[in-house]
Amino acid sequence: MPKHIVSGLKYLTAVELIRKGLSQKEVAKILEMDRSTVSHYLNGRNLSWNSIEVAEIITKFCPKDFLTLTYALLNNSEKTRIIVKTCSKGNYQAKVEETCIGCGLCADTCLMNAIVLDDLKAQIDSNWCCGCLMCRDVCPTNSIKILEVEDGC
Amino acid sequence: MVANTKEVIEEDICVSRSSADEKREWSYKDELCVGCGICADICPVDAIELEPIGGIVRTGAKKSKISIDENKCVLCGMCSVGCPADALDLKIDNKSIKEMDSYPKLIKSAEIDDETCVFCKACETACPREAITIARSLPERSKLVTGEIEIDKETCIDCGICEEMCPADAITLSHQIPTSADPSVSSDIVVDKDKCVYCLICKKSCPVDAIKAACRTCSYGEYDLNPEDAEIEGSSFIDDDLCINCGWCQEICPVDAATVKKAFKGELNIDQDKCTTCGACVDICPCDVLSFPKPADSGQIVDKVFKDEKYCIYCGACGKVCPVEAIDVKRTDVDYTPTKSNSWKNKMESLKS
Repeated sequence: MPKHIVSGLKYLTAVELIRKGLSQKEVAKILEMDRSTVSHYLNGRNLSWNSIEVAEIITKFCPKDFLTLTYALLNNSEKTRIIVKTCSKGNYQAKVEETCIGCGLCADTCLMNAIVLDDLKAQIDSNWCCGCLMCRDVCPTNSIKILEVEDGC
Repeated sequence: MVANTKEVIEEDICVSRSSADEKREWSYKDELCVGCGICADICPVDAIELEPIGGIVRTGAKKSKISIDENKCVLCGMCSVGCPADALDLKIDNKSIKEMDSYPKLIKSAEIDDETCVFCKACETACPREAITIARSLPERSKLVTGEIEIDKETCIDCGICEEMCPADAITLSHQIPTSADPSVSSDIVVDKDKCVYCLICKKSCPVDAIKAACRTCSYGEYDLNPEDAEIEGSSFIDDDLCINCGWCQEICPVDAATVKKAFKGELNIDQDKCTTCGACVDICPCDVLSFPKPADSGQIVDKVFKDEKYCIYCGACGKVCPVEAIDVKRTDVDYTPTKSNSWKNKMESLKS
């Protein structure tokens, strides 16, 4: 069953990536799948529609649940971040206050690998932020602000 | 998801956190800890507590001077940067943050210039942390002796008085029981020139004046010693882990060969009225700043506790341990390397009181 949901998530990701103009070859490479499987997915073959429905529901979860569930299903951080980033509906802007002490807890926590430390301060790549707020919750000095922004902002 | 692990080895503690990208390891060495509690004061998440240091230090109890809640610790490293005794360290991917430029660092050092040093070992004796080792090789004593003696064996009566009197055990007689074939009490008398210091005790004590002295100084008209023969060679070593930069070596050095740079400036005030002379401060002070004065005359009233701030590093351990709050340690200046992080700057500044 988890495998079916994973297929559903990969299907949704593949559709979105193709919509963004990537080739089937590129999509196959990103998702580490056979090109033929991608092709089959896109043609609606070898995939139960029910899996897609479940996957769609998951992508509409709150960002943290979407992310952690996807990570639990895939157990692979690189594919998780691509799927979540591609299928995530929201856009986020991250801000780190001067009170950051550079402990790196946020960077270690972030499943999207969106955080690095620079001069004892966390730098959050808003492009990769999925809005899960796990970094904000774990920050010992409450230095992280995550804002949901309108498309294009 | 991200959890710390704690390892305790006797009084030492290690807390670590590993992720896919980096490994952070915090370590505490109890042997180096002075019990100042700066770590507990600087910790942004209140993970560190200072244990009852007075009892631990005075009883030699096998107990860590600080405790850490590994569930609170975020492994930021602020405590290790503030620690004046280098008892704490944070390593990120096996590299100490003390070697990383982005982190601030207390500016403190102690150095002995071997070119100036005369290897008298005063610093080694004075160092309260036993951090200094002076290795020295002394010149050959025989090369510094200004003359030599000669024993006229014809005159010598083998009494052995010179042998007994010689403070350097340089004269040896070959004692024997006389026989009809060799009717003498000693077969030979020899002087060990490496041991003889030309003190002339032998000559002065010889009852038959059999000892002749040849003074090199007199015969040549001037002192003929080669200065190279008197050269003392050596080297100094300061154990940076143990050194607390108290300045004892600098103050006691007779030739100004030791230079100490302290990280903190401040004031140490003792309320002599409040003091109960329990001695906890004297015992805990890592720098031997404090001592109990002895009155010169009976009946003379002296201070309860004597201080010499020359040696003080303003760590504040004495103030923390004093049970009656008779000691106030103020830090007025903290010298540290620059950092771009404002939160770290603020924390370093917070060490000032």
